[in-house]
Amino acid sequence: MWPGKHPKHQFRLPLRQILYRGHLGMALVAIFLAGLTVSLVCLLTLRAYTEHNLALTARSLTYTVEAAVVFNDDSAVRDALELIASGDEVARVTVYNDQGRSMAVWTRSTEGARGRLEQLVAAWLLPPENIEPVMHDGAKVGEVRLIGSGGPLTRFLLAGTAGMVACLALTALVAFYLSRRMVSRIVGPLERLAHVAHAVRRDRDFAQRVPPAPIAELDELGKDFNVLLDELASWQTHLKTENENLAHQASHDSLTHLSNRAAFEQSLSIALRNAADEDWHVAVLFLDGDHFKAINDQHGHAAGDVVLIETAARIRSQLRGKGVGARFGGDEFAVLLAPLGQAEDAARIADDILASMVQPIHLPDGTSVVMSLTAGIAIYPEHARSPDDLLKRADQAMYHAKRRSRGTRSLADQAEGKDPRQQEIVLVSDSLSPDPTARAVPIGPGPGVERMPDTKPAATGYVDDAAPGKLVAGSDRGT
Amino acid sequence: MALLASLLTATAGAQESALPAPVPEPVAETLPLIDQQTAAVKDVVLGLLSYVRWPTEPAGIQVCVVGPTSYADGVMRGMVQASGRKVLSQRRSYDDAQLGDQCNAVYLGLLTDAERQTLFQTLDGHAVLSISERDLGCSVGSVFCLNVGSPRVSFEVNLDSMARSGLRVHPSVLQLAKRSARP
Repeated sequence: MWPGKHPKHQFRLPLRQILYRGHLGMALVAIFLAGLTVSLVCLLTLRAYTEHNLALTARSLTYTVEAAVVFNDDSAVRDALELIASGDEVARVTVYNDQGRSMAVWTRSTEGARGRLEQLVAAWLLPPENIEPVMHDGAKVGEVRLIGSGGPLTRFLLAGTAGMVACLALTALVAFYLSRRMVSRIVGPLERLAHVAHAVRRDRDFAQRVPPAPIAELDELGKDFNVLLDELASWQTHLKTENENLAHQASHDSLTHLSNRAAFEQSLSIALRNAADEDWHVAVLFLDGDHFKAINDQHGHAAGDVVLIETAARIRSQLRGKGVGARFGGDEFAVLLAPLGQAEDAARIADDILASMVQPIHLPDGTSVVMSLTAGIAIYPEHARSPDDLLKRADQAMYHAKRRSRGTRSLADQAEGKDPRQQEIVLVSDSLSPDPTARAVPIGPGPGVERMPDTKPAATGYVDDAAPGKLVAGSDRGT
Repeated sequence: MALLASLLTATAGAQESALPAPVPEPVAETLPLIDQQTAAVKDVVLGLLSYVRWPTEPAGIQVCVVGPTSYADGVMRGMVQASGRKVLSQRRSYDDAQLGDQCNAVYLGLLTDAERQTLFQTLDGHAVLSISERDLGCSVGSVFCLNVGSPRVSFEVNLDSMARSGLRVHPSVLQLAKRSARP
């Protein structure tokens, strides 16, 4: 009971065994005590009856031998003795005449272990000798001396002991059977309860229920347990949906429900790992909206959001589950195509996406607007082998395309060795020196309008074109 | 009385004791055979008398000894029953007409057939116990017939005579007698 005093409880007996032992012990003690008491009472009663019987036998002998004693007829006495004492209750009987002469003796032959046992029992339980006078005409003419045999008592003792042993065995059997029934009633429900509890703990299997039990308390316990399981199950479901929501929120863009950058990069690295193992191709499409800033400023942020949502929807519809679309922030989108059959497939899907943007997007204020996308494509393993490099190459290709013409797409190898940023930096630093590449950059309202909305439309494309390079390296890329 | 009876019976039939007797009986051992027989006869007669019931119980029992006898000396000396009733004996003639009235029991010695017939005619209609000293087969009229051995004395019973006499005899005596009658 006191934890300090029982430091070690190595062996814990199961309830089943404790109940068995208790029942068996109780039944055995009860039957033993009852049997012992009954046997003792029976023995004493039988002893009293035997004594009485011996006295009666002795007296009846005196009547029988009376005449023979009177006429001193020894053989008649002997005959009478044999007649009367032939039962097994008498061990030895002697008839004396008036002078104390022994007229006849009758002795029961008791031999072997049984005889010795009978003598022992007789010496222990019976009076040593019954002496009855033989009376004739009111005077004593002789004497009958009778010694009882332990035969009947021995038989009783033997039979009683055997009966008691048999009863004990039977009781043990019955007690075993009854306690098995009781144990199965008590232990069965407990074991089922434990089983369910274990299943819940190990497998999180909240569907299991404790079956009803025949014992009221155990049934109550099972019901309470089931209610507890119900609550646990609903709590678990709640947690699960909550977790899923959180996981979705963590990996998706809340506005467009496309993957966010982190989730995209994770998908990309997984796809690249698989591609390395399986010798697949993987394509990354980098998509950037054209003139989004202007739309935002002209129609408001709500309209910008509508445009972004519609753009995401169109990208998704073009992918048709064959790739992962993501929004990197602002008007930048990315698409992961894995596994990719051929490089042309990537170009085709990019073309499909760009083509889908031709349809005008209807804004809440009733007007509609068209936002084209410019795409850069990088393919594993041709253009890069690491996710970062692949993204970078796609990004470069996109800028390459943007310079060339907005609303078009460019493959990474088309921009090989011509990093637009470097070119732009060169442009900014060497603005005075004419560069054929710089001249090749298409001039239009695009970058200037999009990225520097607050500045007035630039007079020269150079200044306008130089600005995105700085911005790309700085603030805009980080969103 | 018990003392006297025990003294009297002490002389009879103690020789067959198979076991060593608790009380030594040196007197019985040394008595001559005839004395032992006489004492045994007396005991048997006394025993028979104690088991017989007369239609009217006499205050004292009168035993009449008739004819020459061999073992009647003990009987003749007179006896006392365990109950204290005296048993008196006297010799009578076989043709004594008073036998039926005055005797409760008749002890028959050696009589001829004619004498015996006369005697039983006299006794007819009287409740008199008749005991023959010697009558093999016990067929001639006596209720009891002694069979004096050496030294045991046994007796036989004639049930017809018993029925005629009107006496009642205890059945255990009849049992003993029958036993005695057997070879």
